[in-house]
Amino acid sequence: LPHRRRRRKDWMKLIYSTSLTPEQILSHGGESEAEKVNQDEGDDDDFFRIKKKDDLSRGEELDKTKEALKEQDLKQWEDDDMLESIRHLFITGESNLEE
Amino acid sequence: MTQKAGLVHYSGHQYLRTRLVLSILSGKAVRIDKIRSDDKNPGLRDFEISLLRLLEKVTNGTVVEISVTGTALLLKPGIISGGPIIHDCPLARSIGYFLEPVIMLAPFAKKPLQLTLRGITTDDNDLSADLIRTVTLPHLQLFGISDGLELRIKKRGAPPAGGGEVQFLCPIVKQVKTLNFAEPGKIKRIRGIAHAVRVNPQFSNRMIEATRSILNRYIPDIYLYSDVYKGDESGKSPGYALTLLAESTTSALHCSEAVSEPGIAPEDVALRATRALLAEINMGGCVDQKHQTMVLLMMVLGSEDVGRCRMGPPTLRTIQFLRDVRDFFGTSFKIVPAEPSNVDSSQLIYSCYGTGYVNANRTLA
Repeated sequence: LPHRRRRRKDWMKLIYSTSLTPEQILSHGGESEAEKVNQDEGDDDDFFRIKKKDDLSRGEELDKTKEALKEQDLKQWEDDDMLESIRHLFITGESNLEE
Repeated sequence: MTQKAGLVHYSGHQYLRTRLVLSILSGKAVRIDKIRSDDKNPGLRDFEISLLRLLEKVTNGTVVEISVTGTALLLKPGIISGGPIIHDCPLARSIGYFLEPVIMLAPFAKKPLQLTLRGITTDDNDLSADLIRTVTLPHLQLFGISDGLELRIKKRGAPPAGGGEVQFLCPIVKQVKTLNFAEPGKIKRIRGIAHAVRVNPQFSNRMIEATRSILNRYIPDIYLYSDVYKGDESGKSPGYALTLLAESTTSALHCSEAVSEPGIAPEDVALRATRALLAEINMGGCVDQKHQTMVLLMMVLGSEDVGRCRMGPPTLRTIQFLRDVRDFFGTSFKIVPAEPSNVDSSQLIYSCYGTGYVNANRTLA
């Protein structure tokens, strides 16, 4: 069971009960990061907050629907074995592989 | 994200479109501040202003207040009116940027919408006119929005000069159906549209050849269409693109697209689109990544029953959208693994209790 917990994200908790940004949730962001941020928020005593560097240096992010195609994601499809690995998702493929 | 009576408050320029849509649908005003306040060129961009103007045209009685610096805006929504509308889109974004939010509003208008948009029909950032016609609109049919739903591509317009024109026709509904879509099925057919404007028309065929070299191994039912637009209908700039979609036995749609870039051969564009399609198919689920937010929104608006849908992990936009939906409608989704026993499966079942949203604009007529 602990093995499974490490692999799976608890999406409902990450989305609804943390203040992690969507970027943090999708990056390796597991449970530990969630706890860290929750702790940070406890210290609201500080009057001034130092701006995080990545907030400022981040360039304009467009509100766009199509996410940029990632080269390394596409690269893996040059491999024949990879192409064969999804054959079961087509009607011509064997059905007993997945089920 | 503080929430006072009927006013929802956000900071930053991101996720603007879905927030405006949620405000108009829910009737709650939205205030957005700190719009690029740290940027060298602060405030709203021209295409965002244009989007606000378009939303004013689609609705009646909407009040938009923008601060002098353009870094804050307040939108008090009116009713969604629909009817015939013409809008010229600035060339900074393609018409998909403007059409996507309107598609979410149009079914709930007072009168059927007939919207003509002019500008760029295909670019790298937003859904192209082809994708909207062949993939986005069929997703609306899942919710009972179908008769008279149409997108006509009258002229194509490649970036940077555009010159394209599309007409979007949308029927109105009283209520959307509850979705129950948990069986992804198997891919039974692949369709594609290759278009090339103001370049050698052979480019379309070269893209189709390259795509077939990969896809022919899977299934025989592959039809790739070379869409020819000539003369005045082909816009002001040269460009070409390939749009692909795969349909499963349960009508789940997965799509991909690649657009021409200077110095890249048509074959390479086609291979990018093909590999992106395979990646999308590999991700699985009943709805592809680009359409997660629209499907989830329609599930929230569905009748008062539990809607379920199987999809891959949420994207950045979807995560924020799920939070925003809760701010406007109070609805949160239950998200659980689709195959709890299979550790390798990243697919999830999203379910929520529909709000029973009724198109009140329609009954006023």
